[in-house]
Amino acid sequence: MLAAPPAADLALPVEPAEAVESVTLAGWLSDGVGLDGFWALAVAAAVHAFVLLNLFGVLPAVFIWVERKWSARLQDRLGPTRVGGRFGWLQALADGLKLIQKEDLVPDAADGLLFRASLYVPAISVLMAFTLLPFNDRWVAVASDCGLFLILAVLSLEVVGVVLGGYTSGSKWSLLGGMREAAQMVSYEIPLALTALVPVIAAGSLSLREIGVFQAGWMFPNWLVFANPFCAAAFLCYFTVAIAECKRAPFDLAEAESELVAGYFTEYASFRWSMFMLAEYASMFVVSLIATLLFLGGWWTGIAPLDAALTGLNDWRPDVGVEGFGVGGYLANVLFAGVVCLKASLLVTVQVWVRWSLPRLRIDQVMATCLKYLTPIACVLLLGATLWPLGLLATLGRPTVFGSTFSASPSPLGGAIVEQDSALPNGDGEAGEALR
Amino acid sequence: MDLAGHLLIFAVAAIVALAAPLTLGRLIRPKNRTPDKSAIYDCGEEAIGSSYLKFDLRFYVVALLFIVFDVELAFLFPWAAVYGSAIALTDPTLSEGVRLGLTERLGGHTPGTLPIEATLTAGDATRLAIGGALDLAVFFGVLLVGFAYVWKRGDLDWVKTVAGQARQDALR
Repeated sequence: MLAAPPAADLALPVEPAEAVESVTLAGWLSDGVGLDGFWALAVAAAVHAFVLLNLFGVLPAVFIWVERKWSARLQDRLGPTRVGGRFGWLQALADGLKLIQKEDLVPDAADGLLFRASLYVPAISVLMAFTLLPFNDRWVAVASDCGLFLILAVLSLEVVGVVLGGYTSGSKWSLLGGMREAAQMVSYEIPLALTALVPVIAAGSLSLREIGVFQAGWMFPNWLVFANPFCAAAFLCYFTVAIAECKRAPFDLAEAESELVAGYFTEYASFRWSMFMLAEYASMFVVSLIATLLFLGGWWTGIAPLDAALTGLNDWRPDVGVEGFGVGGYLANVLFAGVVCLKASLLVTVQVWVRWSLPRLRIDQVMATCLKYLTPIACVLLLGATLWPLGLLATLGRPTVFGSTFSASPSPLGGAIVEQDSALPNGDGEAGEALR
Repeated sequence: MDLAGHLLIFAVAAIVALAAPLTLGRLIRPKNRTPDKSAIYDCGEEAIGSSYLKFDLRFYVVALLFIVFDVELAFLFPWAAVYGSAIALTDPTLSEGVRLGLTERLGGHTPGTLPIEATLTAGDATRLAIGGALDLAVFFGVLLVGFAYVWKRGDLDWVKTVAGQARQDALR
């Protein structure tokens, strides 16, 4: 809520609270429409869920097509060419239709109930992660003060579904895949959280929205990946770990089709199998979007005049007959959300590229990479990011090389944006009191 | 309430979204089960034994290490936010308004409720930041000593016996 767009001379206007009055959907439903508190919240959450569910469904379809097409090109093949006219762009939909029609097989040896239930867990955890993702400074289902912490917690639930699916299949291949996945996940979560902390130190907030707002202005040096050398290294480290978190090659030991047949989903057939895939592609997008928000400037284009022009759209409010609705502001929101989705999609494409370029590691190499390389590296990065501003303070007299990103504007951006979640205070209220 | 309600409704939405195509598929997909189709895949052979067996959980110590690290990390998250705010406040060029806003965020106050006298000065913030860095050094240092011990003991090796054998061979 603090990081106003930087440097007044870049003409990024600090949004006046009266002009752009942002309310939550629940607030609008209770005040404007007259629903009582509980129903307003329920309807708002249902609308959020519906909107994000569409994203959750459409994005994997796009990425599956991208992966098929690009992997084919990398291997000097054509890939899908027919479905949907040119370029086979409807291939993922055709795959889905085929999979719905396929016979649904549950092995006799499997634990029927848990076998059927386990595939819901990854999808639930990834869709719940969408709850906390901001797509621009107003579009977020729940603007929590500790969004980053919560989103990592929710994402880590995914492994439960994989282990459950692997164990209850009743097949030895599945068991091996599930157990490998458990080992891999519990190890890779440590460097994931450690590297996510590095930009948090630079931005001073756990709210993904605030971290995004903080990076307004020119790409260099305002994006957190350029904030200090440790942030740049942390980005590379985070991205490596994120690939492992989505169990993508070269870390896809849970699947490992060359040694474990298909790993944890060996016994899954038809549409049930595709749900694991759906959750995998959606979680690729989520970790890429988190990377974008933490390191790559969130929804900002990185070109200050362009961002200023987009933010300036907020003032364009032609009368369309709806009270309190600004066409320009809506347009700006759509464009900013498009920018952040584009950046995240590019990162997903890099994940695809990595998958089809690098050979799979062996399971002991995967574990050694995490525990003996990535974890110590992440620890060093965290300590380095802690000491870096103190070192600068001792030598340059200020904590950043290029001056503070916090604007010199008198009023912080807060208040008018999104109502903060009162159920989740910063958790350091007493500590703050004790300082004085 | 807001968050819990959202997470609940999103979970329900995910279940509905997955159950709907499965239910639709139930109407149109074939259902011709045979004993061969219902058998688990064991490389095309008759499956030998059950897969519900005693299993070597190689990563038991790794899992213990994970718990220690994760608890530590849970404490580091609020620390990082406070430390980052304190670091931002050490910049002497900040304006009064930004300084007040950062102080409010640092202490977890509602924006606009803190009196201007309560604002942290750059000097205060520097002391706070140095204290924070020392806290981290102690807190994290203890953990790293434990990590080094586990590493030295060979618990991080996936195949412990082979690695231990290789080490003994090297000593010989």
